[in-house]
Amino acid sequence: MHLWSAEKYGVMSMLLKKVLIVDDSPSQVKLIQGFLEHEGYRLVGINDPERVEEAIALERPSVILLDVVMPKRNGFQVCRELKNHVDYNAIPVILVTSKNTESDRFWGQQQGADGYVTKPFTREELLRAVRRFA
Amino acid sequence: MRNASVLILSDEPEFARLLTACWQAERHAPGITVLSSDLWKDHEATPHDLVVVGPVLESKLPGILQSLEPAAAVILCVPAESRELGQLRTRYPRLVHIPLREDWAQTLLLVAGESLRRAEALRLSKQAERRAAKNEHQATLGRYMMDMKHSVNNALTSMLGNAELLLLEPGQLSSQSLAQIKTIHSMALRINEVMQRFSSLSSEMREAENASQAETETEPASPGSRR
Repeated sequence: MHLWSAEKYGVMSMLLKKVLIVDDSPSQVKLIQGFLEHEGYRLVGINDPERVEEAIALERPSVILLDVVMPKRNGFQVCRELKNHVDYNAIPVILVTSKNTESDRFWGQQQGADGYVTKPFTREELLRAVRRFA
Repeated sequence: MRNASVLILSDEPEFARLLTACWQAERHAPGITVLSSDLWKDHEATPHDLVVVGPVLESKLPGILQSLEPAAAVILCVPAESRELGQLRTRYPRLVHIPLREDWAQTLLLVAGESLRRAEALRLSKQAERRAAKNEHQATLGRYMMDMKHSVNNALTSMLGNAELLLLEPGQLSSQSLAQIKTIHSMALRINEVMQRFSSLSSEMREAENASQAETETEPASPGSRR
């Protein structure tokens, strides 16, 4: 069964935009969920960057919020690999990170990121970045 | 090459005079100090890149050699037997003996040139090692700072974000809780400002340096230098 199926989740679920949050810190995932759930997004959070592709295949998100500093696989790597993936390269990726120098931002762009939000961020900053894509 | 220093120890003024004159005719003459064996004791603490020991009073030679550092570069220009030289070389691995033959001065200059180049290479190598150690130390500090910055920013994100979430629905909070959350929020913002100052410290320093440089370069020229 496909998770997008109207039979399972109803028509409303298909109208709501889905955001995949990837951050190794559960509290950060929870916080971002708290910011976005008031705006009517459907939210999926994962803490393991090695399971991003699996989550995308399963959830088909409209946009991905991706932390950078993570163990095993950093956000730059994940972004680069998604943008080189024929099935996933159209999904907007927003890097959400504490790396806030110009060179970090530039490197993020080089990996194909569509947006860049630096930590700590306000709710408004996060929403502005997400609304560009979903 | 940095100006090298050479000490000539001799009780024969002619030896020192000839050697100094030959050296001064070279393109890169080292800084030369000439001492007699009587003055040596007072001077022994000053390090030199090379010590040339010329003819000295026979009774003074053992004392002079005893007082030299084993690692010192020494050119011995006195009559010596091969057995004696062997013993001396055990103590001073960098000792070179030049017999006082007809061409001793030219030979000595050639050997001394090599010795000074080696001393310079050693000095540069030690300098590079010190710089590398310093850079390594700074790199470690930088990595530590970056890790700390990441942790602080993550903690700040949670503090600011959760405070902001609570403030989204102020009706559910007592006025005291509301005031406390606002304080937490504003203090977290202040920490964030401090963190940003830290992050931009290096660029601020660079800008200040550039501004100072620009000021120096645009300073009006002195009246005498005006065209």
